[in-house]
Amino acid sequence: MSEAMAHKRPALLNTFIYDFIVLWVILAAVPFLWTVWGSFKVEADFFSRESWWNAIFGTATMRETGAAFTGDGYYGAWITRDFWKAAFNTIIVTICVTTISLTLGTLGGYALARSGKNYAFWILIAALVFRAMPHITLVSGYLLPFFQLNIWGVLPTSIIVLVAINQPFTLWMLHSFFLSIPKDLDESAMVDGCTRFQAFRLVIMPVMWPGVVTTGLFSFLLGYNDFAVTAMLLSAENQTMVPKISSFLGSIQETGNVMFAVAAVVSATVPLFILVLFFQRQIVSGLTAGAVKG
Amino acid sequence: MAQIRLKNVSKRWNKFVGVDNFNLDIADQEFLVLLGPSGCGKTTTMRMIAGLEEITEGEIWIGERMVNKLEPKDRDISMVFQSYGLYPNMTVYENIRFPLKVRRIPQDQHHERVMKAAAMVELEPFLERRPAALSGGQRQRVALARAIVREPNAFLMDEPLSNLDAKLRVSTRAQIKNLHHALKTTTIYVTHDQIEAMTLADRVVVMNKGLVQQVGTPMEIYDRPANTFVASFIGSPAMNLVSGSIENGVFTSDGIRIEGLPHRASGAVTLGFRAEDANLAEANGQIEAPIYTVELLGEATMLSMRVAGELVSIKVGKDYRAEIGDLARIAIPASACHIFDQSTGARIEA
Amino acid sequence: MPNKTFFAFILPSLIAMVLFIALPIVSVVVQSLYVSHEQIMVEVENCQPFGGCSTELRVDTAATAALREEQPLGRFNGLGTYVNRAHLATTELGVILSSERSIGEKWAQILNLPFYKALIFTLVYCFVVTPLAMALGFTIALAVNALPKVTKGPIIFFSLLPMIITPLIGSLILYWMLSPNGILGATIQHIFNDPTLSLRASPALTWGALLTYGVWTNAPFSFVVFYAGLQTVPGDTLESAMIDGASRWERIRYVIIPHLAPLATFVALVQLMDNFRVFEPIVGFSAEANATSLSWLIYNDLTGDSQQFGSAGATSVLTILGVVILLSPVLVRTWREFKHKAV
Repeated sequence: MSEAMAHKRPALLNTFIYDFIVLWVILAAVPFLWTVWGSFKVEADFFSRESWWNAIFGTATMRETGAAFTGDGYYGAWITRDFWKAAFNTIIVTICVTTISLTLGTLGGYALARSGKNYAFWILIAALVFRAMPHITLVSGYLLPFFQLNIWGVLPTSIIVLVAINQPFTLWMLHSFFLSIPKDLDESAMVDGCTRFQAFRLVIMPVMWPGVVTTGLFSFLLGYNDFAVTAMLLSAENQTMVPKISSFLGSIQETGNVMFAVAAVVSATVPLFILVLFFQRQIVSGLTAGAVKG
Repeated sequence: MAQIRLKNVSKRWNKFVGVDNFNLDIADQEFLVLLGPSGCGKTTTMRMIAGLEEITEGEIWIGERMVNKLEPKDRDISMVFQSYGLYPNMTVYENIRFPLKVRRIPQDQHHERVMKAAAMVELEPFLERRPAALSGGQRQRVALARAIVREPNAFLMDEPLSNLDAKLRVSTRAQIKNLHHALKTTTIYVTHDQIEAMTLADRVVVMNKGLVQQVGTPMEIYDRPANTFVASFIGSPAMNLVSGSIENGVFTSDGIRIEGLPHRASGAVTLGFRAEDANLAEANGQIEAPIYTVELLGEATMLSMRVAGELVSIKVGKDYRAEIGDLARIAIPASACHIFDQSTGARIEA
Repeated sequence: MPNKTFFAFILPSLIAMVLFIALPIVSVVVQSLYVSHEQIMVEVENCQPFGGCSTELRVDTAATAALREEQPLGRFNGLGTYVNRAHLATTELGVILSSERSIGEKWAQILNLPFYKALIFTLVYCFVVTPLAMALGFTIALAVNALPKVTKGPIIFFSLLPMIITPLIGSLILYWMLSPNGILGATIQHIFNDPTLSLRASPALTWGALLTYGVWTNAPFSFVVFYAGLQTVPGDTLESAMIDGASRWERIRYVIIPHLAPLATFVALVQLMDNFRVFEPIVGFSAEANATSLSWLIYNDLTGDSQQFGSAGATSVLTILGVVILLSPVLVRTWREFKHKAV
C-alpha cells in the first residue's frame, strides 16, 4: 500500500508524514549524537553555563587544551580509572552468558516445541511468569545465600545468574523458532536412522542458525545491558561496564569526573551501535517472532 | 522384507480415541493402502508402525520382532512424508546418502547405492542441487530415492502425492507402482484419495473415526461395500443412497420403486446403487422424477434428480440432452442394488 | 516425544530456572519474615577515681557479631516487616485516613510513606508510558509504512537505538542533557524564565523527564512490532474497503486496527511487565528524592552500609504479588483456554 498509493495521498498528509518522521528521527538519534560530540569536550563546554553553542564549538576546550577536541575524558576513564578492566569483564560476561544461554535454550526450546504434552505447556506458562519477575527481587534472594556459600563477587556467579534469568525469554523465543521448522524433518531423520539427539544436531540445528543468531543477539543484549544483577553481585574489582559507570557517578564532585562518565557512556554505546548496524534485520525479526504468531 | 502384524492396536489421547482396536496382518511384499477421510486414524496408525507415535495398547510386529518399544531408527523401515521432510541444508545427493551415513554403512558402498536409487527415480541431473531449487515433483522423487536407498523391511508413505498437481500425481502414482513391482518391498500407503487406493493397492483398509470399516481388494471394496460409509467413500461419484422400506423384495420410497430384490431384508433399509449401473428406461422406469441438473462430462452425461429427499446421480450416454425440469425415467436393475441396514449402516447380504 | 527424552533435553534449563528463579523467590519470602538481630547490650560498671561507680549499657560488639555470624537471617519477625512504616504502614495509613484533613493533604501524607510513594510512581509509569509508547509506536509505523522503500532502512536503524540502549546509559544521556547546564535543561529554564528550575528542585519536572524517557525507550518496540504487523494486513480486505468507499481514516479504523489488535495485546503485556520493574532510570536520573520505584526500594535496601535483607525481602514479595496481579488476566485466560481444550 506504500508506493503505489503515494501519489494519491493529499499533499498536506504527505508533508505531515515527512515532518513527523523527521521529528522522530531527531528525537531518537540526536541525544546520542550530542553526547558523542560532547564527550570530546571538557566539562565546562558539555555542561556550559553560558551557552550550549560552547558545546558545539568547544570554546572552553580550546582554552583549556588548545584544540577543539580532546580525548581527556577517554584517557581518564579507560586508563586512570581502569575502565578497560570493566570492558574486559563485560566481554567475558557477555560471551559466556550468550553461549551458555543458547546451549541450554536450544536444547530446552527444542524439547518444548516437539513435546505436545501438557507439562510442556505448563513449563512455558511458568517461564512466562518467571520472565515477568523484576530482576532485583531475585537478586535480593541471592545475596544472603551467596554470602554464605562464599561465591559472591566473582564473575562466574553473575554469569550463571544472568543465564538463568535469561532462560525464560530464550526458551520462548527459540521455542517459537523451532515450531517454524516442520516436524517432518526430525521425523525423517529418525526414520533414516538418527537418535533424537542426532536428529537435533545433524538435521535441525543446521537450519536453525537464523533463529539462534537472533536469540543470541537478545541474550547478548541482556547480559550487556544488565545493571541490577551485575551491580549487586560483583565486587568492585570485578565490575562490568554498566555498574562501573554508575560508580563513576558516585564521586561526581571531582572535576573532570563527569567527563570520564560521559566518555565511558559513549564507549559502552559504540558496540550497541555496531550491533544494530549489522544485525538490524535479525533484531527486527526477533522482536516480531513472538508477536506475529501470538 | 517382512510381514507386519498389528494386534489390538489402540491410540488414545486423554479421552480422545485416535485408533480403536486395530487388527491386521500385512503379508510380505504386499502393497497395503490405508484409506479414509482426514482424522480417521490412518496416519496415526502408520506413525505407530514407524515409531513416531507411542502405542497406547496392543502390539506391533515387524518380521519376527515386537517393535513397541523400539526407536524409529531401530525398526528398519523407511518413510516418505507428506511434505517430504527433505533436509534443506544438504544437496540432493547428500539427502539420499544421509540414511547410509547415519546407519554407518561402509563408505565405499555409498556412491553406488545413491546413484542407483537416483537412477530409479530419474534424479541424476539434479544431484548437486538443494531442495529449494527443485520443483514439487522433483522433491517428491528425492524423498522416494531416500526411502529406497537402503533396503528396509517396509516402506511407509504418508499421502506422498497430496502436494502435487493433478497431472504430476498421475505420473508419480505410476512410478510408485512400478517401483513396488521392481523392489517388492512391503509398502503401507496412507491416502484420502480413493482413486490412488484403487490403482495402487493389493489390499485396501477403509477407516473412519478410528475404526476399520472394511479390509479387502479394491474390487471387493468397490463391488461389495461393507457399510454405507464405505459405499459413500468409494467411487466417483459416490454411491447413491436412498432410504425407504423393503417388503417381499420390493423397495419403495418417494419417487422410486424397485422389484425383484432378495427377500431376506424387510422393513426400513437404505438402498444403494451406483450412477453407472443406472440407465434411461424405455417405458416404465424405477425412478420417475424431474431433472435437477444436467452435467456434460465428455465421455458421458451426468443427470441428477431428487429422490426421497436425496440428490441421486445417474450416468447416461454422452449424446443425451434434456432441460432442467424435464421428466426423466430411470431404470435400475435389481442386481446392481446394495441394501444396507438403516440403523447400523451394515450391508445386508442377498 | 517420550517423557525421558523430553526431560533429558530440558533438564539443564529447568535446573537453572529452579535454582536461580524459583528458589530465590522462596528465599525472598523467608527473608521477609526475619529482621536483623538487635545489638547485644551488656551492663558495664564504670568506676572513676573521684566520681564513684556507675553502671551503663554498652554494645557488646563481639557478641553481636558472633550472633549475626551464627544466624545470618536474623530473628523471626513474622509479618512485622510487612506492616511497618517502610512497607504497608498499616498504622500510619489508618491514622492518615481517619484524620480530619482534606483529601489533598491526605494524599500528600501518603506520598511521604516510602512504599506508597514507590508504588504510585511505578503504577503511573506503567500505565502512562505503556499506552503513550504504543500510540507513538503505531503512528511511527503508519508513517514509515507510507515512505519510499530506500528511506525505511536508515529510519528503522535510528528508531532502534533508544530501545537497544542500556537503560542506565540511556537515562544518563537524557539526564545530562536535562541538567541545568545541559542543552535541554538550560532551554527549559529559559522558556519558563526560572533559573532555579531543575530536576532536583521540581518533582513535576522529574516525573515528566522519567515518563518522557519511558516513552522514548519503549516506543521503538511497538513501532517494530506494529510495522511488521502492517506488512501482513490482507491486501484484499484493504482494497475491498477502498471499493466500498472507506476513507483513509476509516480503513485504519476498521481494517488495520482490528488486524493489529492481537499484536497490541502482546505488546501491552510485554511492556507492562517491563515497565513494572522500572529501576535504572531512577538511578540514572538521580531521581530518588522526587520519584522512586518498587525495584529501586529493594536496591536501596540492599546497598548502603547495612544491608536490610528483611526489608528488601518484604518489598520483593509485595512486588512479586504486583506482577502476579498484573499477569492474572493472562493467566486466567490461558487456564480457561487450557480447560476448554482438555474437555
